[in-house]
Amino acid sequence: MRDREIDTILDQAARTPHDVDPALLDRIADSVGRSFAAVRPVRPAWVLGTALILICAAAAVAFAALIGFYGIRKLSGWERALVFPVLAILVWLAATTRVAEVTPGSRRRVSPESLLAVVTLALLAVFAILFHDYHTHHFLGGVACLKAGLLDAIPAALASWLLVRRGFAVNSVASGMVAGTLAGLAGVVMLELHCPNFEALHVLLWHTSVVPSAAAAGALLEWLRGLPARA
Amino acid sequence: MHSESELEILMARYQQGDHAAATALIHRLSPQLHRFFLVQFTGREDADDLLQETWLRIHEVRHTYRTGEPVLPWFYAIARHIRVDHYRKALRTTGREQALEETPEPAAPTASGRSANLEEMLAPLPASQREVIEMLKIAGMSLEEVARATSSTVGSVKQKAHRAYAALRERLSGMAIGEGRAGVVGER
Repeated sequence: MRDREIDTILDQAARTPHDVDPALLDRIADSVGRSFAAVRPVRPAWVLGTALILICAAAAVAFAALIGFYGIRKLSGWERALVFPVLAILVWLAATTRVAEVTPGSRRRVSPESLLAVVTLALLAVFAILFHDYHTHHFLGGVACLKAGLLDAIPAALASWLLVRRGFAVNSVASGMVAGTLAGLAGVVMLELHCPNFEALHVLLWHTSVVPSAAAAGALLEWLRGLPARA
Repeated sequence: MHSESELEILMARYQQGDHAAATALIHRLSPQLHRFFLVQFTGREDADDLLQETWLRIHEVRHTYRTGEPVLPWFYAIARHIRVDHYRKALRTTGREQALEETPEPAAPTASGRSANLEEMLAPLPASQREVIEMLKIAGMSLEEVARATSSTVGSVKQKAHRAYAALRERLSGMAIGEGRAGVVGER
């Protein structure tokens, strides 16, 4: 049996007419017709993506302005030139994935799981390249950074949810994970602007963990939100 | 098969509140969506319910279609969401074991019978491969469109199609050999 023969069988099956009960189709048309009105299509993907990027940047800068720009002042020129462009690329990737997640049938660059993995690994790689102070004097104090990052992620997540609320996620848990990843990235940007602690383990663990923690929280929230419908 | 641009025009008119366009879309696309559900081991009654549910959801979220984007992946993504939801609900209500028991035994397709029932022919394949073959070969969608509809990548769709063909090749070849042997025994 060759592929061409399988193709022939499938072609024949495709050509066989498949009828649906006309009464069912009329019922569907009737039920759809009961609430009929013109709708405004969702905004173009690039508009939503750009707005999401701006929301993340605004949330990070506003929060860092409140608690101080100590980190960015302490970073050297080339450190800034490496950290912030990488963060910008990751935010762009997460924003476009977020828009795709709430648009049925849209093109995906990466899956939500791959996005989380790529973002986490990229952050770990950049931090490992940049920071070589292996002391752990203030290691436990890093919990404050995790908390601050997650706190910053909340307004970013809420604002981005408001922006894309007219969308429809075919996989709500995956969509929540992407929303969390994006919001978590806003938290990381804020930490790089604010945190002056450049101990390698501190940055690698506490700063990076904002993203998977926010992603897990986003997925969990969406799962919980879907519970009543599943019950 | 319908031309993509024709469906796009109907979809745009549907969004603008044209009831005739909605009715035309329902009549044009329902048979292939219904078949999509049937291929996934759903009984005819369930397929009817799923089709109805799909159209209600499509109506609810019709604003999420962007003009200029491929239409079929948008419809199939929503249909797929409804099917997955239905499958999960069925698992919860009947329990996993019972659901498995109720899954029809894959019927043996006849290699010589070229017009073999599509559902029977695809029955041995895993659900993810079945839906890819249905969209590619029966709905006539491109690899890119199937990737969009299934929220995956073109590479992943290609891989599933390749595996599905390997499984079908093996199964149908086995059937052909079996039938050949039976024929020889019968002649004796």
